[in-house]
Amino acid sequence: MMQQEQQLRNLRDFLMVYNRMTETCFQRCTSNFNYRNLTMEEERCLDSCAGKLIRTNHRLMGTYVDLMPKMVHVAAFSPPGVPIVRLPQCWCAPSSKSALTPHQ
Amino acid sequence: MDPMKAQQLAAELEVEMMADMYNRMTNACHRKCVPPHYKEAELTKGESVCLDRCVAKYLDLHERLGRKLTELSVQDEEMMRKAAAGSG
Repeated sequence: MMQQEQQLRNLRDFLMVYNRMTETCFQRCTSNFNYRNLTMEEERCLDSCAGKLIRTNHRLMGTYVDLMPKMVHVAAFSPPGVPIVRLPQCWCAPSSKSALTPHQ
Repeated sequence: MDPMKAQQLAAELEVEMMADMYNRMTNACHRKCVPPHYKEAELTKGESVCLDRCVAKYLDLHERLGRKLTELSVQDEEMMRKAAAGSG
C-alpha cells in the first residue's frame, strides 16, 4: 500500500514537471502566431528546450543527491552559531560569507 | 490499496493535471496575445485569432513534449537497468 502511495506521489511529481516544462518551453520558443501549426524554427527550439530541461533536471538531481547528505550531516553535528555549510570556493565571491547558520 | 481505488486515484490525478495545464495555457496565451493596453473590453479580431492559434500550438507542444519525455525516460530506465546489471 505504501509502495502504491509512493508511486502515486511520483506520478504526480512527474506530471507537474511535464506541465511546467510545457509552459516554459512554450513561453520561450513560440513567437509566430501567423500560423496555427508550429513553424520549423519553433519546432527546433522546442526539441532543444525539452532536451535541455530534462538534462538540467537530471544533473541538478544528481548534484543535489551528492551534496545534501553532507549538509545534513554537518548540520546535525555542528554547535549552534557555527555555519552549516561552506560553499565551495568557486561558487562564491572571495569576500562573501555565504554560510547559513542553524536555527536556534 | 485495491486496483479500483488506485485506478480512481489515477483518474482524479489526471483530471487535476489537465486542469493545471489548462490554467497554465490560459495564462501563457493571455500573455502572448493580449497586450496590456485595455482600451476596450472586447477582444479585437487579431487577439481572437491569436488566441485560437495559441491554444492549437500549446496543445501540439504538450503532446510532443509528452512523447519526448516518454522516449527519454524509457532510455533512462534502460541505462539504469544496464548499469545495475553491469555492477551486479
